[in-house]
Amino acid sequence: MSAVALERRPAVQARVIVALAQRALAVQLRRAQFLIPALVLPLVLLAVIASGTSAGRNLPGFPTSGSYIGFVIGGALLQGALLAGMTAGTAMAGDIEGGFFDRLLAAPVHRASIVLGRVVASLVVGAAQACLFLAVGLIFGADYAGGVLGVTAAVVLTAMVAGAAAGATGALALRTGSVELLRNFFPMVFVLLFTAPAFFPRQLLSPAMHAVTRFNPLTYVVEGIRAVLHDDRALGSPAAGFACAAGLLTGATALAVLAMRARTRGA
Amino acid sequence: MAAIETSDSSILVEGLVRDYAGVRAVDGVDLEVAAGEIYGFLGPNGAGKSTTVRILTTLLRPTAGRAVVAGHDVVSGASGVRRAIGVALQEASLDPLMTGRELLRLQGALHGLRRREAAARGEELLERVDLVAAADRRLATYSGGMRRRLDLALALVNRPRVLFLDEPTTGLDPASRAALWREVRALNADGTTVFLTTQYLEEVEQLAGRVGIIDQGRIAAEGTPSELKERLGGPALHIDLVDLGRTEEARAALARFGPCTDRPGGGLRVRTPEGARAIAPVVRVLDEAGIAVDAVEVDLPSLDDVFLALTGHRAVEEDAEA
Amino acid sequence: MTTGVAYSAEVTAAMWRRSLLEIRRVRGGMLPTILAPLIFLLGNSGQFGRLGSLAGFPTDSYMAWLLPLACLQGAGFAGGAAGANLARDIEQGLFDRLRTSPAPRPLLLAGPVVASMTRSVIPATAILAVGLAFGTGLSGGVLGLLALYVAALGTCMAAAMWGCLLALRYRTQQVGPLIQNGVFLAVFLSTAYTPQPLLQGWLGTFAPYNPFTYVLELGRQATVSGVEPSWAHTWPGLVAIAGMVAVLGALALRALGRIGN
Repeated sequence: MSAVALERRPAVQARVIVALAQRALAVQLRRAQFLIPALVLPLVLLAVIASGTSAGRNLPGFPTSGSYIGFVIGGALLQGALLAGMTAGTAMAGDIEGGFFDRLLAAPVHRASIVLGRVVASLVVGAAQACLFLAVGLIFGADYAGGVLGVTAAVVLTAMVAGAAAGATGALALRTGSVELLRNFFPMVFVLLFTAPAFFPRQLLSPAMHAVTRFNPLTYVVEGIRAVLHDDRALGSPAAGFACAAGLLTGATALAVLAMRARTRGA
Repeated sequence: MAAIETSDSSILVEGLVRDYAGVRAVDGVDLEVAAGEIYGFLGPNGAGKSTTVRILTTLLRPTAGRAVVAGHDVVSGASGVRRAIGVALQEASLDPLMTGRELLRLQGALHGLRRREAAARGEELLERVDLVAAADRRLATYSGGMRRRLDLALALVNRPRVLFLDEPTTGLDPASRAALWREVRALNADGTTVFLTTQYLEEVEQLAGRVGIIDQGRIAAEGTPSELKERLGGPALHIDLVDLGRTEEARAALARFGPCTDRPGGGLRVRTPEGARAIAPVVRVLDEAGIAVDAVEVDLPSLDDVFLALTGHRAVEEDAEA
Repeated sequence: MTTGVAYSAEVTAAMWRRSLLEIRRVRGGMLPTILAPLIFLLGNSGQFGRLGSLAGFPTDSYMAWLLPLACLQGAGFAGGAAGANLARDIEQGLFDRLRTSPAPRPLLLAGPVVASMTRSVIPATAILAVGLAFGTGLSGGVLGLLALYVAALGTCMAAAMWGCLLALRYRTQQVGPLIQNGVFLAVFLSTAYTPQPLLQGWLGTFAPYNPFTYVLELGRQATVSGVEPSWAHTWPGLVAIAGMVAVLGALALRALGRIGN
């Protein structure tokens, strides 16, 4: 008989991850309080910023490719991704507080699969949300010169950020097991967003903010999103965007797996 | 609003109805509580007890019917009712951030006491319910018994003529319960009318002069505890036989004592107004018939039996399962 | 026994003292009302700072434009908290105890509303201090500052009544986010980012109908326009506050009256 335990076989692991991801998705879709903030908040902010700051177009140095809403939608995608990931982390803390997590641990499931299930679910939510936001943008006058390929790339980048946010907040959830703490992290979404050129071109940010953005990986992701959406390399580097998104996703997932190990070892 | 003349009743309820989203929670309740009485209002969860109390304390308006408390109509004279009553509600929470002393002073202010008066009244009541030592602790740290005592003190701030206690001892340990009962008796001795809801039959037997039993929104029975028990036809004897095969012979022999029924698990139950005095004649009759008796017990009916007979279920069964 | 005005004052004061316990006894309780507006202030001025250089923008400093908005937002959140706290009191049964007292019904709301206005001074002042520390000048002087605080307190009062209305209507703590999102939206769907002449699209159409546009204008006399009692900057804001308080207050009182139905 094979020495590899059943739960370590790759095919079994994949099935477990899919099942856990499906469950995470089902919970998120069925509970309005999980879904609404990540969906509604970015769209409202998009509507307000797209109209409220559109005079910015007249500033010298503002990129000319695409419409104004087409430019700021990158920020909305990023915000939605961060909120969706954060929601996943909060839901995980809820599982820990509510005891569902212990049931998972009692099952012969590979520990990493529990984390990966969450991350995969957030990738799906992030991608679906990005499609929705881009469609809403389209209705309200955005155009995407990058075509299907550009839109797909933007969706993938957004999904990766959502997965990374789920990994990072999942790590926090695993370390603390506190829904309350995760909720208190909510303002961090906006700190991360505003310290990247989410809604305005980097060269037009205030000098202090410009200096800060260099150290925020989301800067390169959002610039990458705009570059692929509008097929304009002057807006950013797709390669840098993908590199940062991939780094964030792997780093955050690794953090979550480590937190999982620490948690189960402590238990 | 002028006070309504209601002879000497403290509470007068006529045809009270309350609907909640299509469900009739209170369905034509009539009752009358005399001044100085302790009235026990008994019923299982969901029977309409709390809804009735909420109407009588002006928290809820009736769908139909009328209720007069301390001479004021609960709808048109609500503020008059509020001045005259004290209320300790089952689910009334206490602000966990406040201390007992602060909450008592707030309650005093709400009843129109000046700051100094409210403070003095607060001290007096803290002493009365034995919470002086805990007066400056936050309510979050109070035990269940302490919370109930404070709740009672809050209800007494305005020296109410009518006191409503909604399940005042639910969840309390026996000692705390006994202490609260003592306090209720003392208040009543001072002339306070008490309207008490409870699921505990022992509580009304201990405290109440009269009892109303509410079930499915209607008053199923009303009277003194002993009146209600008498309706069941007095005490009964439980007779265990050595040989269950002779049960029918025993039944025939015992027929002259009173109605005779089977007991679950064997044996007979004879209802007889003689009670314990019937034990010797019963044993003698059976002995003469050559039927050996294993045991005879006297069963005095409790309010629980009354409740069961009237409503078809026990007073607290829902609660135990919930 | 006290009567009439003295009684009303005593009840309101007692309720006010009770509501203020939250400041002293909940550690960090005021933090969210300060933090969120601060992040928006610093984030938005970092992002959109260059808007201040557009022709037609009434100030060179974009932070000076945003600072009154952030103060109003903080005060508004403090007001919304009055509603959230009321919802908690209703859900936990504490409000029933208050309702069985003979205190006139409006006083049961007056205490928490006045307390939230007292509390709102904390976020408004903290945010103002940060803005000043970042170099924003008080071009409106003392009178401008007064106008800003009047705007902040008015915003808080309107938000508190909005919060009480929703709390009395839905009677559950879950209404908390709805209250605060309402405050957030009301404040932002205005001339939040740019003055009316520079507003384009739907917000340009909507902002003039939002009373907060005028309350903001009132507050901006502290850092942008300077005080000059006029129909351009001062009076419409005061009228807007009075209108919102009257309408929302009446609706909240009606909801309070219906709570026993």
